[in-house]
Amino acid sequence: MGMKFRCERDTLVEALSAAGRAVTTRGGALPVLAGVRLELVGDQLTVTGSDLDLTITVVIEVAGGEDGIVVVPSKLVSDVVRSLRPGSVDVAVDDDDVRIVSSPSEFSIRTIPADEFPELSGAEGDAVTLDAGEFRAAIDQVEKAASSDDARPILTGVLMAAEADGLRLVSTDSYRLSVRDLSGTAILSEGQTVLVPSRALKELSRVVGDQDQITLRLGERDAGFEVGGVSITTRLIEGDFPNYRGLIPQNHPNQLTVDRETLLDAVRRVRLLAQESTPVRLAMSDDGLELVAVTQDVGQAHEAVEASYNGTDLTVAFNPEYLIDGIEVAPGDEITLETVDELKPALLKAADDPNFLYLLMPVRVS
Amino acid sequence: MSPQRTEGSAPDGSLGFLHVDMDAFFVSCELRRRPELIAEPVVVGGTGDRGVVAAASYVARSYGIHSAMPTTRARRLCPHAVFLNGDHAYYGELSAKVMALFRDVTPLVEPLSLDEAFLDVRGALHGHDRAATIAAALRARVLAEEQLTCSVGVATNKFLAKLATERAKPKPSLSGPIFGTGVHVIKAGTELDFLHPLAVGDLWGVGPATGAKLSRMGIETVGDLAAQPKERVTAALGSAVGRHLHLLSHGRDERPVVVGQGVKSVGHEETFAHDLFAEDRLSRELMRMADAVASRLRAANVAGRTITVKVRFGDFTTITRSVTLASPIDGARAIAQEAGVLLAHVDTSPGVRLLGISASQLVTQHGQQLSFDDVDGRSWSDADGVVDEIRERFGGNAIGPATLSKPGSGLKRMERGQQQWGPDRDV
Repeated sequence: MGMKFRCERDTLVEALSAAGRAVTTRGGALPVLAGVRLELVGDQLTVTGSDLDLTITVVIEVAGGEDGIVVVPSKLVSDVVRSLRPGSVDVAVDDDDVRIVSSPSEFSIRTIPADEFPELSGAEGDAVTLDAGEFRAAIDQVEKAASSDDARPILTGVLMAAEADGLRLVSTDSYRLSVRDLSGTAILSEGQTVLVPSRALKELSRVVGDQDQITLRLGERDAGFEVGGVSITTRLIEGDFPNYRGLIPQNHPNQLTVDRETLLDAVRRVRLLAQESTPVRLAMSDDGLELVAVTQDVGQAHEAVEASYNGTDLTVAFNPEYLIDGIEVAPGDEITLETVDELKPALLKAADDPNFLYLLMPVRVS
Repeated sequence: MSPQRTEGSAPDGSLGFLHVDMDAFFVSCELRRRPELIAEPVVVGGTGDRGVVAAASYVARSYGIHSAMPTTRARRLCPHAVFLNGDHAYYGELSAKVMALFRDVTPLVEPLSLDEAFLDVRGALHGHDRAATIAAALRARVLAEEQLTCSVGVATNKFLAKLATERAKPKPSLSGPIFGTGVHVIKAGTELDFLHPLAVGDLWGVGPATGAKLSRMGIETVGDLAAQPKERVTAALGSAVGRHLHLLSHGRDERPVVVGQGVKSVGHEETFAHDLFAEDRLSRELMRMADAVASRLRAANVAGRTITVKVRFGDFTTITRSVTLASPIDGARAIAQEAGVLLAHVDTSPGVRLLGISASQLVTQHGQQLSFDDVDGRSWSDADGVVDEIRERFGGNAIGPATLSKPGSGLKRMERGQQQWGPDRDV
């Protein structure tokens, strides 16, 4: 069965690499899943990659010659097309090979039997729409706090929960917790929660581009997102998300208010002397804030940061990466850091935006 | 990871490098506390059907028994030999005492294992105190204070010193051991006379594969190798290996004695008396090893970022699976959890002969990242601290994970070195 189309190099590269990001990198899976599936109907080319948990499908317009279906090795074909000269690319399948031609280059690559590619159905459920820019910003604010540790599968997900006045996204790796409220976004029924793999949301954030809208479908076991010509289907994580509400201290006797960019720059500088997993210390007093990092046998860094502080003198140590992750995604120009003592979770918030919070556990210094 | 790492300076041609190797160390340790066995063939190692020989006395060696040999074969060669389970803790204790004696001579001591070390004694050479004298005095002192014998090689660099030791060693023979000189010196200026007649296989870093390659090039002795143009050797063996071997063949080795090189990984592995199939049994063994690894990590005040699981199947194929984490861990539960996930991705249905866990990419713990589990004051990491304290006060088997305890039989924990050489007979 043949298949033939012509397409701009850059359009094809984008589609192949977006779909290819769902392709499994682990060995031991179905060999066919190392491939992406191309299906041409008329002038519409559908490119699909999947590892069975995550499926990414990209639809692009091409100049179609002959309809057909083929599965090609994802990384190789993507690398080949990316390496071609700018301009149009001709793709044609004869027998077991796909020919990729952009004069004067010509590649012929063995295909993977297409009938072994699994049937992948999209998520069922009613379509609801989300503001793409706002949802992407929310994803970017929570995805870093999600765990990447497969030993704790529940924590690799981002909790999407219905709240009284909208949608809430929550993630935690047990060292920090991000909570982001999207008020007015009512996409779940009351009391409903779903646990979406953070990996799928990261891919979604990546493909949003300048699109206005994301369409979401929630099924029993899957969630599907569509934005532009891309659709992302992910299996949902089963299990109970930890009770995060109880973690957020209601009473914070100490409050530090500081310019966000200033603090971010200062932590980034001081971090250079926080090597070998040593923490950065925040010494807070009426005089403001001092950052200190000391690495044994290497050296030390100090920086005074202008800040206003209400509370008792306190020094708290944090993993600088975790601290930076929180400061980076906090909205607004000014942030507050609320603390109880040097061992209790610290709460980082935007000074004037109640819709985001980042709770961070300190490092205990011996 | 080792901020206190210091190095001695590289060799300068003076005769000041010692290589000390304890004679049949594990066996000698046993004979020290069981002198009645001195005339017997004694073998230390795994005593079960799957054990391997860790060390054989010189009497046992005269029957053809040597280390790394399967215990079953050793039993066939010498059925009346005395087979002893290894006691790693005891050997470690004696090793520390011996190393301390070395450090009395020079602070520049680089241990290679429990029973072997390099010493840079150039700073201790003054007046008529020559390296050979220092070596002889050291041997006498080790014998007098610890009732253990050792052999010492003396040369102008580490690599030659190690070769010299071989000449000083006792040799087994059918009529009993032939005692060596104890100390062998390769005098400055005579290095090549000593070196060039040796087979290339005697060089450090020449294994069977490299040896075969060299042999195809017509190179059999170190002298043959030295006579080659360097380019020909690097073309055949690659530039790094080729350059290194070519330097060695000219008797040159610039490596200094490295002191205080910290541990690179902490691990435990165990060969089972019978292949294991049951998942719950495997996860129990995993918990046991994780507990042992965690205890040792904390004792050294380090935590590991990479956790590796090693599995050897019944047919001896061996695989390892690792995960590298964002933050280093030192808790038994966390290590067991990571190892469990790694093992879950392995098809264990052919049966598991050996299982191991190790932690690497070690970092010194300068502070402990608290987690939300710590918020109510009852954390897993706190529990680990209590475990260490109890073990210190009441001994290793006083406390352990509940999964390791069986009604009536108490706890079965792992000790360091236990199971090194295969399961003991009564397992």
